[in-house]
Amino acid sequence: MLTCKEASVLATKAMDGKLTFRERVGLRLHVAMCGLCRRYVRDMKRLRETVRSASQIEFKLLPESVTLSRSSRERIKQALNNALRHRD
Amino acid sequence: MMHQLSKPEQWLDLYGDILYRYGYARLRNPDAAEDLVQETLLAALRARDRYAGQASEQTWLIGILKHKIIDHFRKISKESSREYDEGAVIEGEDEFFDEKGNWQHDVSSWSKPDKSLEQSQFFDVLQRCIERLPPKSAQLFVLREIDGVDTEEICVAMSITSNNFWVMMSRTRVRLRHCLDLNWFNA
Repeated sequence: MLTCKEASVLATKAMDGKLTFRERVGLRLHVAMCGLCRRYVRDMKRLRETVRSASQIEFKLLPESVTLSRSSRERIKQALNNALRHRD
Repeated sequence: MMHQLSKPEQWLDLYGDILYRYGYARLRNPDAAEDLVQETLLAALRARDRYAGQASEQTWLIGILKHKIIDHFRKISKESSREYDEGAVIEGEDEFFDEKGNWQHDVSSWSKPDKSLEQSQFFDVLQRCIERLPPKSAQLFVLREIDGVDTEEICVAMSITSNNFWVMMSRTRVRLRHCLDLNWFNA
């Protein structure tokens, strides 16, 4: 019988679709008997679906107050201008 | 719809901060994120003749940045092979399971009518919980779950085995779940 800790790792492997037959049987058996792991597995799938269907979440990981500093903006502008000049 | 590029001189003002936040959230390092903004814009300058107009300008630039981010991880994992030391991750104290491998904390119910995962406040809490993860855990979670990068690609870039990836990712999920339990479902 798997421990909950082992089951949690297999649950993550399962979310990548990579379980071996043996692992799949082991995880199913454990989850059938363990309410906490059943809940864990179900919630992690829900979290994945929620994250995947959230629009623009990839741009919302940091607040908009996080911006380039003035000095780095200046530095990047210089580098771009140099590159543009060399191109023409 | 066909898109057109604006003048390269305008890119920094239009997209500089978006690119910076995107990189910063993934690298967790402001200096490296700044460098990637510059590298991305310079690469875009070289590639602009090949821009076909299928994607929006922003999507096109983010696409270039995504490649730079993976390259960055590849470089780091080559420079310091101990960066993602497998033993350090797998062994050591585990605050979430006891020595018999049972859950240490209550795995609380997420079925609460007033606390749905669809509410916009949930995403604020999720964002803060991701920020509180150890940097490497956050990187794995964002790359895999938010950016949808394949596990194989992450493993190659970070020089880790897939088994080690699943162990690290599993810890990340357990940690994240615990944070959401405390700060959303039982807040």
